[in-house]
Amino acid sequence: MNGDPDRELVVFTEALKVPIQERAAFLEIACAGDENLRHKVEALLRAKDRLGNFLEEPPTGAPEA
Amino acid sequence: MRSEICVSPRDEFRTINTSRCQKDSCLAPLENGENTIDVSRVDAVCSGRPQADNMSDATVMLAAIEAGDSNAAEQLLVLVYDELRRLAASKLAHEAPGQTLQPTALVHEAWLRLVGDKTPAFNDREHFFRASAEAMRRILIDRARRKHTRRHGGEYHRVDFEGFDLAAPAADNQLLAVNEALDKFASEHPIQADLVKLRYFAGMTNEEVSQVLGISLSTVKNYWTFSRAWLLNEIGGQ
Repeated sequence: MNGDPDRELVVFTEALKVPIQERAAFLEIACAGDENLRHKVEALLRAKDRLGNFLEEPPTGAPEA
Repeated sequence: MRSEICVSPRDEFRTINTSRCQKDSCLAPLENGENTIDVSRVDAVCSGRPQADNMSDATVMLAAIEAGDSNAAEQLLVLVYDELRRLAASKLAHEAPGQTLQPTALVHEAWLRLVGDKTPAFNDREHFFRASAEAMRRILIDRARRKHTRRHGGEYHRVDFEGFDLAAPAADNQLLAVNEALDKFASEHPIQADLVKLRYFAGMTNEEVSQVLGISLSTVKNYWTFSRAWLLNEIGGQ
């Protein structure tokens, strides 16, 4: 099941404030044994690392450069 | 108050007028861009007095939304959608091919045309920009779908009425993928999905989104990072 969407948001946001080398320990505590939540947040953190310019420009329909 | 007939812009019955043209309001998927611009409506909007009607329509709807009238939100969306479509078509018809849509500029112009430059009542901007973001989303998605269909449907000789169909398939594919993922996102994170509509589809800044949604700038930034990561993760496998 989806769990609590707000926890996903809160844990993700807080995890970003934690130094990378301490994130695993932070997630261990923050997710408190909720493996589903932990996997979701870990996937989001990986996605965050490859965001680049994703969605930063409105979809204007411009021909690509 | 819904009317099944399309009431003339000069109709004196303002209460009916606010719901006019529901029937042909372009909200259905469109097959031919050129034929979707209602010429009488364009004339009406451009010819002075009826624009004043439109302005008051928007003002009346905004007040009704604030008072809790749920129909008014849909009526405002129809009005804003038609106005944005008309503005987009008009802009692109008068400018060089390759021109892009500028959602932010369009939304602000629609605001000036429909509401005017008077100081807005409390929450009017919020309701208006929410409707605009949803309207821009529909316009951009309709257009991306039309272009997609055209690319795969053999109509290669056809000149796109928007004048810039030199094709950006990757951008269109991303737009359509994001839109699809956004429905799922909205079911789990409705506020953050609203933020994505405002930022991505209506081209608003963090500051504007902060005002419209009534949340702090730092919260907007946190939500935005989360939303982008969520959506990229969702469509990442495609």
